Amino acid sequence: MARVNSVDVSALPREGFGVASPAWWGTIGFMVIEGSSLVLCAFAYAYLSRRSPMWPPSGIAPLRLGVGTLVAAAFLLSLVPAIMLHRAAKSLDRGVVLLMLLIGASIEAIIVGLRGYELHALPMRWDGTAYGSTVWFTMGLHTTLLVMDFGETLVFAALFLRGSVDKRHFADVADSVLYWFFVVLIWIPLYFMLYVAPRAL
Amino acid sequence: MTSAVDEHAVLANTWGTPRGPLGWLTSVDHKSVGLRFIGTALFFLALGGVLALTMRTQLARPETHLLTPQLYNQFFSMHGTTMMFLFAVPAMMGLGIYLVPLMIGTRNVIFPRLLAYAYWVYLIGGLFLYSGLVTGNGAPAGWFSYTPLSETQFDPTKGSDIWAQTITFTEISMMAVAVTLIVTILKQRAPGMSLNRIPLFVWSILVTSFMVVFAMTTIATASFFLAADRLINTRFFDDARGGDALLWQHLFWLFGHPEVYIIFLPATGIVSHLVTTFSRRPMFGYTPIVFATIATGIISFGVWVHHMFATGLPQLGLGFYTASSLIVTIPTAIQLFCWIATLWSGQPQWRVPLLFVLGFFFILVRGGLTGVMLASVPFDLQAHDTYFVVGHLHDVLIGGAVFPLMGALLYWYPKATGRMPSEVAGRWAFGLLFIGQNLTFLPMHLLGLHGMPRRVYTYLASTGWGGLNLLETVGAYILALGVLVTVANLIVSRFTGPRAGNDPWGADTLEWATTSPPPPGNFAEIPVVMSRDPNWDPARPEDRPVVTGLPLDRRELLFTSALDATPVRRIELPGPTIWSLPAALGTAVGLIMLIFTPWGLVVGTLLAVPPLVVWAWPKHGGSA
Repeated sequence: MARVNSVDVSALPREGFGVASPAWWGTIGFMVIEGSSLVLCAFAYAYLSRRSPMWPPSGIAPLRLGVGTLVAAAFLLSLVPAIMLHRAAKSLDRGVVLLMLLIGASIEAIIVGLRGYELHALPMRWDGTAYGSTVWFTMGLHTTLLVMDFGETLVFAALFLRGSVDKRHFADVADSVLYWFFVVLIWIPLYFMLYVAPRAL
Repeated sequence: MTSAVDEHAVLANTWGTPRGPLGWLTSVDHKSVGLRFIGTALFFLALGGVLALTMRTQLARPETHLLTPQLYNQFFSMHGTTMMFLFAVPAMMGLGIYLVPLMIGTRNVIFPRLLAYAYWVYLIGGLFLYSGLVTGNGAPAGWFSYTPLSETQFDPTKGSDIWAQTITFTEISMMAVAVTLIVTILKQRAPGMSLNRIPLFVWSILVTSFMVVFAMTTIATASFFLAADRLINTRFFDDARGGDALLWQHLFWLFGHPEVYIIFLPATGIVSHLVTTFSRRPMFGYTPIVFATIATGIISFGVWVHHMFATGLPQLGLGFYTASSLIVTIPTAIQLFCWIATLWSGQPQWRVPLLFVLGFFFILVRGGLTGVMLASVPFDLQAHDTYFVVGHLHDVLIGGAVFPLMGALLYWYPKATGRMPSEVAGRWAFGLLFIGQNLTFLPMHLLGLHGMPRRVYTYLASTGWGGLNLLETVGAYILALGVLVTVANLIVSRFTGPRAGNDPWGADTLEWATTSPPPPGNFAEIPVVMSRDPNWDPARPEDRPVVTGLPLDRRELLFTSALDATPVRRIELPGPTIWSLPAALGTAVGLIMLIFTPWGLVVGTLLAVPPLVVWAWPKHGGSA
């Protein structure tokens, strides 16, 4: 005999996007942890800058604005296929998702290369001054997020190329796009902090 | 319609873990992982306790040379690191892992494989710290590893490297646990368990988990800075190259003070349950307690500078941190008054777990009051780095966390084992712990006021500190005996304790509505919650509403809305896996290599990522 107030859940869906997806929560968790870490790097950068009469310290050239701006622009540009990928994933369009995953992976590969050049172009090492240490650490930490997302995009591309995907995987792709937004958008204030602020202030 | 017996068999088959060593290595059941966390934390408590007893033996008389000054430094550093990172937080979070799914009426946590991974990382990290001590590389610079003392210039051993990496191990572990528990609590509560019906222990674990995410990120980043300073000569804390040793203190205490509340808040959650159950009435002031818990969590991030009053910071800043340090006592006082009101208006049954609550009240209030004294800058400058502070912090941490934890172990023991612990042994243990605590730490306040500094390996007879020190050492051994009696009680009762039944204490929350120990999958039927104290609902258990339509032959559970716990969708969880272990081993190899070469980062990634991809590669289930 059915009990009073019992709840029948047999008709509930077995998949969901956003807050109804565990991967979304996992992604948010990653973003909070890594975002906090980057904020702390920025805190250390700002804290140490106030202890130094000159910033960058004397004898160290400012970071090359052109290179930094190029990388930041590439990041922003990558949002276009990312937004299209997010839309395609939400409408369960497998063909467009695969296409955008491949385009996204290609753009991320280019950005990884550009970031390599950006690090190569830094005018100081990490072991000369605390300034160099904070700049290298902030960029290095962000680079690990970039590489991680690149790897994730490759894994999803492989998954969709193999073809055996269901609705849940579309939700996972949508969540991975969310992570890419985070990687891009958190870089913009850091770009201003590292490249623009020392020139402007 | 299948019979109840069939249903249980199907559930056990679906949610069970393989038997034998393979099962031990592959289990993703929150109950076994939670118990492992607790068991391992108690093991580290024993190790940290042995270190403490050795130090107390050294200090019992003046000019004793049982330990060399160098070894003494390593002992107190390892003792603090062990108790904070390897015992207290993992024990509390382990309790959360075990209890939260049972209390909120779900079958497992949302990321069970991540949880198993977190355990292995924690275990390896803890053993790694002790590998340093036995090889002459014990951490030498205190549990806070202050720079420049922990920089290569003053510590050329690998001790501070091992310390920094141990921190990374435990933080990876605790952050994984925290994220898992947050999502589980927000999204997997049984239908009807709206925010205002969440058990208070679960509230405390939720707030604590958020604190872990932010606080542990801070220390993980800071310890990475330190490790880099030592390995690749970065200059974060090097004053000569534009760095700042005080930056370390800011980062450390931005973590370090919330850490105290990360340990304390779950203890308040425990106390709420013990008080409710043994007062035989619902908690007085549930809502104020919830808000006090949240307020404590937030304010605790704004008090860290009170650890740095003696570093010469600007006066205005010090005033602010005195104020915030005083303010943080208000929510704790609110909780305290709510517990007292509940006991006052209830029908208290003085069973052993409740005795530990009384001990908690007494010692915590004393520790809190000495904390108020220390929050005042003029007093702090006098008592800083003396035994007064040692007495204060042990009152807060042992009174505020270990006493409730001991009460919790005895209270939830019947649920985990199906047997009752011995009441007589419990009373003896409580008596020994209470007397030991007071004998050990009360005289420290006096010694501190007499000028005995912390972290000295010995002292001269002419100081006149010998008598009180001897008394403290006697107290420390009594305290240790109390812990031993508790552990013996837990072990022996496993075989000789009377059968407990589902609900031996007549308690109000959902974990007592299932069998003891709970079956794989926790509940034969997922309950529907109609009140804040669901197990005290007037309806007979067999008449209470349940969730129907959830298949038993798959690892399916219910995702509900965060505020009202309305069912949203069904989720299929992954089953046991061996891949958590190689992922943890890969992480460990990378972190340990990082002590010697930066290539550890690359090697660790290459070793840890493939198992992670294999375990997360979609087969049947959705989440990790």
